[in-house]
Amino acid sequence: MKLILTRDILLRPLQLVSGVVERKQTLPILSNILVAVEKDNMTVTATDLEVELIVTVPLDKPSETGKATLPARKLLDICRALPDGAAVELSVEKERGVLRSGKGRFALATLPAAEFPALEQLQPEAEFTVPQAQLRRQLERTQFAMAQQDVRYYLNGMLIELKPERMITVATDGHRMALCDTQARHPCKQDKQVILPRKGVLELQRVLQEQEGEVTVQITGNHARFVVGAVTLTSKLIDGRFPDYQRVLPRMDDKVIEAAREPLRQALVRTSVLSNEKFRSVHMQFKPGELHLHTHNPEQEEAEEDIAIDYQGEPIEVGFNANYLLDALNAISQEKVRIYLTDSNSSAQIEGVETDGCKYVVMPMRL
Amino acid sequence: MALRDSTDFWPRAIIHVDMNAFFASVEQRDFPELRGKPIAVTNGEQGATIITCSYEARAFGIHTGMRLKEARTLCPDVIQRPARPKVYAHISTAIMASLCEVSPDIEVFSVDEAFLDVTRCQSLHGTPERMGRMVVDQVQAASSLPCSVGVSGDKCTAKFAANLVKPNGFIVIPPREARARLEHEPVTALSGVAQGIGGYLAAHGAHTCGDVARLPVSVLARRFGNMGRHIWLMCRGEDPDKVSADAAAPKSLGHGKVLPPGACEREVLLTYFLHMSEKVGARLRRHDLAARRFFIGLRAAQGWIGGTFSLAQPGNEARAIYRLCCAMLRQVWQAQPVFQVQVTALAPEPAGQRDLFSETDQKQQAVEHVMDQVNRRYGEFALAPARLLQRSAMPNVIAPSWQPDGHRQSI
Repeated sequence: MKLILTRDILLRPLQLVSGVVERKQTLPILSNILVAVEKDNMTVTATDLEVELIVTVPLDKPSETGKATLPARKLLDICRALPDGAAVELSVEKERGVLRSGKGRFALATLPAAEFPALEQLQPEAEFTVPQAQLRRQLERTQFAMAQQDVRYYLNGMLIELKPERMITVATDGHRMALCDTQARHPCKQDKQVILPRKGVLELQRVLQEQEGEVTVQITGNHARFVVGAVTLTSKLIDGRFPDYQRVLPRMDDKVIEAAREPLRQALVRTSVLSNEKFRSVHMQFKPGELHLHTHNPEQEEAEEDIAIDYQGEPIEVGFNANYLLDALNAISQEKVRIYLTDSNSSAQIEGVETDGCKYVVMPMRL
Repeated sequence: MALRDSTDFWPRAIIHVDMNAFFASVEQRDFPELRGKPIAVTNGEQGATIITCSYEARAFGIHTGMRLKEARTLCPDVIQRPARPKVYAHISTAIMASLCEVSPDIEVFSVDEAFLDVTRCQSLHGTPERMGRMVVDQVQAASSLPCSVGVSGDKCTAKFAANLVKPNGFIVIPPREARARLEHEPVTALSGVAQGIGGYLAAHGAHTCGDVARLPVSVLARRFGNMGRHIWLMCRGEDPDKVSADAAAPKSLGHGKVLPPGACEREVLLTYFLHMSEKVGARLRRHDLAARRFFIGLRAAQGWIGGTFSLAQPGNEARAIYRLCCAMLRQVWQAQPVFQVQVTALAPEPAGQRDLFSETDQKQQAVEHVMDQVNRRYGEFALAPARLLQRSAMPNVIAPSWQPDGHRQSI
């Protein structure tokens, strides 16, 4: 195997796939990436046995075909430290990967390419395309609510639900939930639900760009594959049943509050400084025309702030984790938000006043 | 206010009061026939380990933690007395309340020890020495029990002073004399400095508090971090530790019990585990706490078996905790003999955040709420799962860290 290219052409795929490679590994080969050179292109593959990322790069200089696995982190660190536009020659000599650039020579240990774990061929049950920017926004607006290392393993990921003409993403850690419902053309006649693991979601988000172009989505019984231009991301799915998210949406007919997003967000940021560091609780008193925020901490420090809201109902007092509210307010890009409350023990729903399919549900804290 | 300018005014004044052989003294007070005799307090009639013993017993070399059998070889006449934890808790509460008359800045250090910060009472009550006498009088009036009192400018020196003479000690070390007074004392005489740190310091040629005070503080800080800086200041008679009235938030909250010999039937273990789960659950609920992770353990010959088990979400239901115990028995226990059970809630937190998909059984929560109310009024386990009719008859033990209020108020 031998190829000649510039540093920048090599660096981009290495940066894309390196997120998949875990820093600590049990199988040594998983610290490596697979570089395969064919006639006029090169593919770089990384996997952690759950998420696999493949990037294809066209080659314009003559090259020798072949395959090798090279240590991902070291190769990336060397490439990053090379000067912009430097010419790079990568080859395999006596089971060592040799990178030459300028007057530098770097010999890296290799492991046999045949041992690199490959995913089985997928038999897609559903295949459709969505605009790249749309999928990216949909992930951005829901991914923060995913659980991290929860014993309810099915929460450590994102639900992707396909309904006729719709694609719904839902993430929740049990305390709050983010939901985004958008239009999508797909061939699924029946409702279909899959749970993409946390890491797959985060890597997919890194791959997606805010630009034109379509993503091809393939779903099988236990995998999901996303093809974005030269990048293919395949992730195993979480085998579990996601909780019924419809059940926890509040009734929305009771107490409706409208408020300007930014002033509310800033007031929460300020008052939460003096909330309990661990539980971040903020007491909110909604009164006609006014919202009173109050926080205090074990050091007996406290903060209070009033902001104007549009509300005509009965006064209600609810406690929330300020971080959950802030996450939701940060994900909403509109100027005004609407909050639906039922009582101080039930969930609250937050959304932009203009319908965009995104909803945020937050469970209160006991006062 | 005149005092503030006089040389008698101390920049900081701390009193440490330590009840002498507390449980044993209570027994001797309440049962005059025990006075002047060597007595050993054990956990119930069946307890084999000495919780505390009278000064008459200590003269024979008997000490806390010793097996009763061993104590009998030292002194065949030693009298065993079953502990009466509720009485001790009651007396301790009365003593601590009476000490508030001297200063409201009181830290209940354990069931039989307290620190008082009397700095700001000097213009009210007079010199720290005088307030030390007031403490003795208050303890006497509240309990008629002996105590040792140390008065100094910091907690460490005050505790050191109270430990110098027992029983009925009264030592005053003015803050300006503290460093000189500690100069030749071994550093391990200070509270909180044990063999580990002492050994490290000895390797650096520092045996006495004076030696440590002369070491550069960075030597201690590099090895022990902030604790090292703290010890360095303690050795100079400048312990910065504040007398804090509030108990720190609990790091863990648990109950354990020693099993009767040869108990290795599953059914017996289940009863013990249910017993401990009910205790931990009730105590978490009483303080409005919940925990996600629990240590569930059994002590076998080779050490603890078991480990950390997690609930789906933080909880305080006895049933849920008990289910973890059952899982532990199924997964880990191989019918080997065991002699102790332990159930501990790790990192309990305020049970405030509600869950969207709460699978907690509303009915069960309501049942436990009623049970808590009944038991608070009519005593522990007045209402309990039927299995607990077979629970251990071993009495509850009062922990050394017992406090009159808060989550440590538990027997």
